[in-house]
Amino acid sequence: MLWKKMIRDLKENKGAYLATIIIIVIGLMVFTSFSMVMDNLRLSQQSFYKNQNFADGFIEVQAMPPSEIEKLQDIQGINDVQGRLVKDVKVLFPNRDENVYLRLVSVDPAKKNPINGVQLKQGIPLSNKEMNILIDNKFFEANNLKLNEEIEIIADGKKRALRIIGVGRSPEFIYALRTSSDLYPSPESFGIAYIPFEVMKTLFPERETMNNIVFTLRPGADYDNVKERLKPELKPYGLKSIYPRKDQTSHLLLTQELKGLEATARVLPLLFLSIAGMILYIMLKRMVEQQRGQIGILKAFGYTHKEILSHYMSYALTIGILGGIIGGILGIALSFPFTTLYQTYFNMPGLTSKFSPLYLVLSILLSLGFSLFAGYQGCKGILILQPAEAMRPPAPPIGKKTWLEKITIFWNMLTVQGKMAVRNMSRNKSRSIFIFLGIMFTFSLLGLTWSMNDLSQRMLFDQYEKVETYDVKVSLSNPLNQKKVSRELNHFPGVTRVEAMAEIPVTLKNKWYKKDVVLLGIPEDSTLYNILDKNYNKVDPPKNGLLISERLAKLLGAEVGTKLNVESLMIKDPDKAKQLEVVGVIPQYLGLNAYMDINSLQEFLGQGELATSFMLRMDEESIALLQNEFRKSAAVSGIDDQTERLAQTKELMASFYGMIFILALIGIITGFAIIYNSSVITLSERSHELASMMVLGMTPAEVLSVITFEQWFIGIFAMLAGIPMSQILLIGMSQSISNDVYTMPTNITASSFLIAFFVTAASIWIAQRFAGKKIQKLSLVDVLKSRE
Amino acid sequence: MQPIITAKNLWKTYQMGEVTVVALKDIHLKLYEGELVVILGPSGSGKSTLLNIIGGMDKASNGELYYRDTPLHKADDKQLTFYRRNDVGFVFQFYNLMPNLTAYENVYLSAQISQSPLPVEEMLEKVGLSDRANHFPSQLSGGQQQRVALARALAKNPAILLCDEPTGALDFQASIQVLKLFKDFSETYRKTVAIITHNAAIAQIANRVFYLKDGMLDKVERNENPLPPERVTW
Repeated sequence: MLWKKMIRDLKENKGAYLATIIIIVIGLMVFTSFSMVMDNLRLSQQSFYKNQNFADGFIEVQAMPPSEIEKLQDIQGINDVQGRLVKDVKVLFPNRDENVYLRLVSVDPAKKNPINGVQLKQGIPLSNKEMNILIDNKFFEANNLKLNEEIEIIADGKKRALRIIGVGRSPEFIYALRTSSDLYPSPESFGIAYIPFEVMKTLFPERETMNNIVFTLRPGADYDNVKERLKPELKPYGLKSIYPRKDQTSHLLLTQELKGLEATARVLPLLFLSIAGMILYIMLKRMVEQQRGQIGILKAFGYTHKEILSHYMSYALTIGILGGIIGGILGIALSFPFTTLYQTYFNMPGLTSKFSPLYLVLSILLSLGFSLFAGYQGCKGILILQPAEAMRPPAPPIGKKTWLEKITIFWNMLTVQGKMAVRNMSRNKSRSIFIFLGIMFTFSLLGLTWSMNDLSQRMLFDQYEKVETYDVKVSLSNPLNQKKVSRELNHFPGVTRVEAMAEIPVTLKNKWYKKDVVLLGIPEDSTLYNILDKNYNKVDPPKNGLLISERLAKLLGAEVGTKLNVESLMIKDPDKAKQLEVVGVIPQYLGLNAYMDINSLQEFLGQGELATSFMLRMDEESIALLQNEFRKSAAVSGIDDQTERLAQTKELMASFYGMIFILALIGIITGFAIIYNSSVITLSERSHELASMMVLGMTPAEVLSVITFEQWFIGIFAMLAGIPMSQILLIGMSQSISNDVYTMPTNITASSFLIAFFVTAASIWIAQRFAGKKIQKLSLVDVLKSRE
Repeated sequence: MQPIITAKNLWKTYQMGEVTVVALKDIHLKLYEGELVVILGPSGSGKSTLLNIIGGMDKASNGELYYRDTPLHKADDKQLTFYRRNDVGFVFQFYNLMPNLTAYENVYLSAQISQSPLPVEEMLEKVGLSDRANHFPSQLSGGQQQRVALARALAKNPAILLCDEPTGALDFQASIQVLKLFKDFSETYRKTVAIITHNAAIAQIANRVFYLKDGMLDKVERNENPLPPERVTW
C-alpha cells in the first residue's frame, strides 16, 4: 500500500522531483557520453597504433642516404628504423584558387610490417612502377576525389600528375595539421599522400637521400639513451630535430583531448550528482518532518523501523533508478553523435560507438549510490522517533536574533519582510549554504563559459587582426637572401610593402628546463607583424636579447634578465654554446615563440642575411596573380592569404559556440532547479507563516517577496563569491587546455561577469515566478485551521 | 444605522468527492459598528465557515455579502486581499505569529501594510506587553502570544475584528484577559468585534449572540446588559 502513497507524494511535488531527476540526468549524460567517447577513442587509438606499428621516435635531417639510415638499426635499443622522404607540395585543382597542400610521405611497398604503416581502406597497394599514390581518406572525401583519378602537383617547380590508386590512413596523421600554428585539421586544403620512395625520388633533386626517419624501440629501451646514441650518427647529415612519440603533434593533441575528456567525465558528473543529492536530502528531510504524524501512526500500527525507512528510501530509490536509466540511455545515445563529431577531427579506424550495457549499469549504480546515500541521510531521523513522540507535533521553531542585527544601520534599513528573510537564513543554515553554493555554481559556470567565448575570440582574432596584419605571407622552402627576394617581391604588381621574417627552430635552455621553439626574427620597424604587450601597446623586437611569451617563460622558469642557452642547427657553429638574455615577456595566445630583431638574429646566426618568409601588404586583386606566379616555384613552400585563414578560423569557431551554448544551458537549468526546489521546500515548510501573511492582507507578491528577498540576498553574495570561483575554474581550464599551439588567457572579461550576472538572475527570477504560482494556491482556511 | 456587514441568503457548499456538504444554509445577518457579537455553536455547525466568508478568506457559493456598500460576493482575489488588508483583523485559536519576528516586529508587519495604522507601541501597551516587545513568540506564553496576535490585528486599525476560538488554547485567566481587550477595543474605538466560540459562557459579554446549528442561523439574542468579562466564569 505504501508505494501508492509514495507515487502520490511524488506527483504532488512533481516539479521539484523532476528538477532533481533532470540534474541527475545531465550529470550522467556527461559521464556516460564522455566516458564512452573516451573509451572509443582510446580503443581505436591503441589498436591502430599496434596494428600499424606506430613509431616511438621521429627524426628530421637535411639529407641522409638510405644505406646510412639502415645502419642505425644496429644502435642499441632500436628495434626497427625506416627512412623516408617527406615533402609538402602544392596541389593544382582545376577551377580552384585557394592553396591546397599535400604532404608526400615516401614508403617502401616491399617492406613487411612497416613503421607507421598505411591502413588501406579502398583500392590496391602501391607499386614501384608508376606515379601512383595512396591518399588519406579525409582529403579524398573532402575533395570528392575518385579512385584512379589523377591529381596535379607542383614538385620541384614542375607540374606532375599522380594517380590515386588507393585510400588509406596512418597513425602518424590521426590529427593532421599542416603547421604548428593550425588549430584544427582542414582536410579540404591539406592532406597526406603515400608514395613509393623509388617514385618520389624522381620528383625531387635530392635523388638518393631521405630527410625523415622514424624508429621503434626494443621493449624496455630508454628513449633518452637511444637519442644520445643517435645524435652523433645523425649530425653529419644535418640533424634538425629528434623527438619522442609524446611530442609528435598528432599523438600529443589526441592525448590532450583524451585527458580533457577524462577530466570532464569525472568532475562534472560528480558536481551534478552532489547537487541532486543535496536537493534530495533536503526534500526527504522535510517530508519526514512533515509526515511525523503519519510515521507515528505507522509505528503505532506496528510497522518496523526497517519498513518505514525503506518506504521513505523508496523515494530516493525511484529518483535514483529513473535518473540512472534516463541519464544512462541518453548519455549512450549522445555518445553516437559525439563519436561522429570526433571522427571528423580524428582519423582512425574503428572509431564508432555502440550500446554499452556496462555504462548503463554504471550510470544506474552511480545515480543510486548518490540518491540512496542522500536519502538515508535525510530519512534517518525516523529511526529515533518514538511512536507517541512522533504523533505529537514537533517543538515550535525558535526565533533568534542573528549577528547581522548588530549592524544597526543595515538592520534598520530592512523592511520587516527583510528581517524575516535574514533570520530565516540563519535559522536554516544548511539550506542557505545550499542556495549559496547553487547560485555560485551557476554564476561561475556561466562566467567561465562566456569568458571562454570571449577569450577564444581574442586568442584567434587578435592574432589575425592585430598581430599578423599582413595580407599575404610567402614562405620559402629554404632560407634565402633577404635583400634579393625582397627586391623581387617589391617589384611585383600590387605589392606596397615587403617585410622579411626569419623563423629559426631553436632549443632554449635554462637550468634543467628546455624547450624547442621557433625564434622569430622581425624587422625593427615592422608594421605587418606587431608584437603586443598586455595593454596592446606595440613592442619593438629587441636587438640585444629575446622577447619570450608568458607561457614560454613559465616553461623555461625564466624571467626578464635570465640568460638562455640557445642551440640551433642554423647557427654557423652549432657546437659553440651561445646565450641570449630575456629582455621582455609578452602574452602570446597562438603559438609559442621567442622574438628578436631580424638583423640581430642574422648576426647571431652568422649565416648572412637569411630570411625564411616574407610578409606582404598588397592589393586584394593581385593576390591570385601572385599565387599563380609563385605556385610552381620550388623556392616557395607556401603562400598564405590572411583573409582565407580568418574565414577558416571563423568557420571552425562555430562548433565551439555549440559547446558554449550547451554549458550555458546546463548552468541555467541547474540554477533554475536549485532555486525552484528551495522555493518549493520553503513554501511547504512555512505554509503557515505565509498563509498568515495572506490573511493579514498581504498580496501573493508581497508574501513571495519574503522568500525571494532571502534568495536574492544570498544570491548577491553567492555571485560575488562566483567571481573568484570562475577565475579559479578558468585558470584550471587554461592549464588543462593550453599547449604549445595555443595558450588560453586567464583574465575574465567584465562583460562575461555582466552576462553571467544577468543570466543567473534571470534563471532565479523565472524559478521564483514558478514557485509564486504555488503561493496563490495556498488554501488559507485549511492552513490556519491546523496547528503548526 | 447602516450595517457594516450585511449577509443575505448566504450559502456555502463543498464538494467532497461524490458527496455535497452544505456548510451554510440561507444565512441572513447584519453586523453594526461598535458592537461585540458572539457566534455560538457546536463543532461542524458552520461557525468558522461563516467567519472566513465574512473575513474575505473564503467565498460563498450563493447569496450576497456586503461590507458597507461593497458587494464582497462579487469581489475577485485581489479585491479580497485589499479588503483583508485594510478593513479586517483576524485572531486565531493558534495565534499564527511569525516565529522569527519579535512581538514588536509581528505587530509592525501588519501595521506597515495598512492605510491608517495605529501606533505599534500603543497597541503593545494596550495588550500589556510593552516590556516583551523584543521577545520572540517562542519566548512568550500562550496568553502572551495571543495578545501579540490581537495587537497585530488591531494595529491595522480594522473596521471589524474577527476572532476564531481566540481563547480555545488558553487557560481561564489568560482567556479573561484577552476577552477584556476585545470588549475594550469595541468600546474605545467603536469597532465591530465578532467572536466565534463553542464556550457558551463567553456569550455573556456580547451585545448580540448568534446561534448556529447545522449551518443554519438558529436564533439571534440581544443582550441588553452584557457582563463585563471579569465577571464571566466557566
